Amino acid sequence: MSRPRIRSAFLSCVSAACAALAVSVGAISLAVAGDLIVTGAKPDRLFVIDAATRTVRAEHRIPGANGLVSVILISPDQKIAYVLVDRMERVVGIDLANGREVFRADLSTPEERIKSFMSMTLTPDGRELIVYELPTRLLPAEYVVEEPRFAVYRTNAGLAAKPYRSFPAPRRVHMLLMRPNGQSFYAIGFDLHEYDLKSGKLIETRGIQKWALADHGQPDLLAFWPVTEPTGVWTSPVYSELKKGAETVPMTALMSLDVKSGELTYADFEPLSALIFSTVLSPDRKHAYGVYTTLSSIDVEGHRLEKRVPLDHTFYAVNLSSDGREIFTGGTECDVGFYDAATLDKKAVLKLPGCADQSVATLRVIHER
Amino acid sequence: MSELKPTNHKADLLLEAVADGHVAEVLAMESVAGCSTTFDPGWEVDPFGGVASLCQPMEADLYGCSDPCWWPAQVPDTMSTYPNWDAGKPSAAGDWRDLDSVFPKK
Repeated sequence: MSRPRIRSAFLSCVSAACAALAVSVGAISLAVAGDLIVTGAKPDRLFVIDAATRTVRAEHRIPGANGLVSVILISPDQKIAYVLVDRMERVVGIDLANGREVFRADLSTPEERIKSFMSMTLTPDGRELIVYELPTRLLPAEYVVEEPRFAVYRTNAGLAAKPYRSFPAPRRVHMLLMRPNGQSFYAIGFDLHEYDLKSGKLIETRGIQKWALADHGQPDLLAFWPVTEPTGVWTSPVYSELKKGAETVPMTALMSLDVKSGELTYADFEPLSALIFSTVLSPDRKHAYGVYTTLSSIDVEGHRLEKRVPLDHTFYAVNLSSDGREIFTGGTECDVGFYDAATLDKKAVLKLPGCADQSVATLRVIHER
Repeated sequence: MSELKPTNHKADLLLEAVADGHVAEVLAMESVAGCSTTFDPGWEVDPFGGVASLCQPMEADLYGCSDPCWWPAQVPDTMSTYPNWDAGKPSAAGDWRDLDSVFPKK
């Protein structure tokens, strides 16, 4: 985001609190360019936060959000945020610089109710948006469950976007991740599927529920935070029972998927002692950080828990500064936390204007260019 | 189904229909309502059988459960059934007194 774009961002501030920040933002533009955090909150807000100064740089209103701001995708040029809103039936594209709505796709029609359960992804060129759709035909006396599908939208389709093609999808998918080559994408749910974007054909299915990890029972995975920054690797905690002789021990593993190489790994790092909802991998890939009611640091190479500290409250979402030195916590309530990645010490808390819940919003980090 | 024994006429008919291949596939609830895809404990009791590992405070988790219809028996489902339950109440921590109980329509 260039300085003129930053200034124009204030044109879209919609609250007095945001307007009041304009004074301090003049100084922000003089600061070293850094990381911007993007998050959403009820009922229809999209926030851009300067991570270095811990201030809200812009507060945008998402038209038609209807109380829900959930999955946030950032376009490859970092200009547009695509947000799944309105009871998971609408995708809206917002220009991060000025808050203008540049894309809208209403998934449902009068005949067919379509939900996208937290699952969409963008092609590396930013030209196509793939949305996982769960359609239900609404008949006068019954609902008919239809087959799920991947719908492909052109992102330049404006405010009445319709899918220009679609192809069959598996059930029970909760997250999509595009591969950097743009030729295929991952659909993650009970298992890990890879689909060819052009042909729509299933390339491969690798087990999550049907994993083949020796001496481990069926794993449990909660995955709808499609965060791959800053490494291009998506990680998540996975829970399973490890058989040790006649006993079983609940274990927590780190699941790691490199969307570029396709490498998929699982590695236990502790007997289950605390819940973790989501994790993020450090730039050097040596540490992972997880959140829930505690903040955990995981030694990725040594497969062990390094440190754990309590958080002020439960957080669902976690991300990192691009240099890996600072951890950002979000989701749930109306604050974003800033923690030292080396010590896990709390450095700052930013209350979002209006103090509305972030609920299940994704916490994204982009780096100013 | 072979391990189940019918105890009434309707169940007999169901078994016959299964044998004849006339029963439609039972599809996951997710595809209808987007509702819970997990059978984990999580609202009243944590995976350790206690409450210490539940979300803290409860309000931090409330909209995270109602929005994606995660515990539809315990928390009103704003995805499909009670879409206006939290309207005008953007902060669970601040607005919890105004969040009402819900009852199925008869």
